[in-house]
Amino acid sequence: TSTVLSKDKDTSSASKDSTPEGAAKRPEDGAETPKQQLLDIIGNMKVEVSYRKKLQQLKASENKKQAVNKLEGLDSEASVSQGITEDTQRGKPLNPELVKAASAVASSLPRNKKQTESELLAQLRRHEETTDKQKKGGAVNIRNVISEMTIKRQSPAPRGGRMAGRISLQLDEDGQRLRRERSSAQSLDSRRYLSLKVGKRLNIFTKASTEPEHALKTVSSPTIWDLEFAKEVAAVTAQPPRNGFEEMIQWTKEGILWEFPIDNEVGMEDDAEFHEHIFLEKHLKGFPKEGPIRHFMELVICGLSKNPYLSVKQKVEHIEWFQKYFEEKKELLQEI
Amino acid sequence: MAAAALCWALRAARQVLPLPCPRQVRSYHVDWRMLRDVKRRKTAYEYADERLRINAIRKNSILPKELQEVADKEIAALPRDSCPVRIRNRCVLTSRPRGVKRRWRLSRIVFRHFADHAQMSGVQRAMW
Repeated sequence: TSTVLSKDKDTSSASKDSTPEGAAKRPEDGAETPKQQLLDIIGNMKVEVSYRKKLQQLKASENKKQAVNKLEGLDSEASVSQGITEDTQRGKPLNPELVKAASAVASSLPRNKKQTESELLAQLRRHEETTDKQKKGGAVNIRNVISEMTIKRQSPAPRGGRMAGRISLQLDEDGQRLRRERSSAQSLDSRRYLSLKVGKRLNIFTKASTEPEHALKTVSSPTIWDLEFAKEVAAVTAQPPRNGFEEMIQWTKEGILWEFPIDNEVGMEDDAEFHEHIFLEKHLKGFPKEGPIRHFMELVICGLSKNPYLSVKQKVEHIEWFQKYFEEKKELLQEI
Repeated sequence: MAAAALCWALRAARQVLPLPCPRQVRSYHVDWRMLRDVKRRKTAYEYADERLRINAIRKNSILPKELQEVADKEIAALPRDSCPVRIRNRCVLTSRPRGVKRRWRLSRIVFRHFADHAQMSGVQRAMW
């Protein structure tokens, strides 16, 4: 059944990939509902076969319906899903809706339409068989389980002794001998036990269900106790560094150590262009146009334009300070 | 007086970091002179821009002399600790005012101590 499911997943994923392309090809509103139908059906079919899952899917499909207002396409979907769950007989002729959906999918796919259609229908049939089996109580076929188990022929103790002997011999040299030992171990394992991926799936365990997240809880301003708790947790989890690397990581986080490769412009975010640094005459508008002050300020600007260490803001502040200073001293200057 | 002394004592004793860090942490300044030096550095940093600008007005041959005299008075009115000349490069660990190498900010004795214990990166006994 695992191979069946994987194949189905591949085809469904492939069809899903093709259907968006198909959607791009036919951007009509009328064609959207059957396509949406298709996608929903495929989404229903794609999941692992178990009754719990089917119920969840039903709920999900119902939620989808409630969320989006749609036409009788949805009612047909409901009938389709109901048809699947209510079906108990084996070898029942497939739901005509499913057949229609399968034909639509096959037509949307670029290759052999008839072949894909027949394959999809066959898979649908197999699906229905498995759903019937599962619904009947999920009786685990003990025969299947036992057939997978192999009888241990040799006792493990002497084998372990032999392995130990081999290990003790082969640890004399590094490199080549160790490699041989590893390969021999692997071959031993493959002989004794079957690899994990071979064999029929027993379907004893169900996949862990990922429940939909509930709505985010609105957090009011964190109380003092929350802060204290957070501090405690941080203090407990902050273990002293085990080695030099962790120490350096901690220092980098604290800001004691710089980040490598060294970026010379860390903390310096000067987004201004060069012309804003050099052409500062526009800031001289508050000063008198002639006289020693103007002369002085022009020298100041000349010096600032050559200064690569200050940001534009700092230069502007510099000029503004002088402006303020000279305004305060205006009476004094007029006396002169 | 006692309260002021207490205040200073509290300020002198800086808080210890709460995290369990294995490295050496000084939770105090070595002596009061070091603390005064720290204060001077702080105020010098705060008044650095103003001092620079007032000095630019003072050391000038263009502006009228009256203006420069006023600037003189202004700069003298600034707090005494704000001038950078008062800063002394003391040893960081022992607060020794003399014999301090600038690169390491350590006095010669401490430097020798650490270098001999191989705790100074890239420092070796000279031999040629």
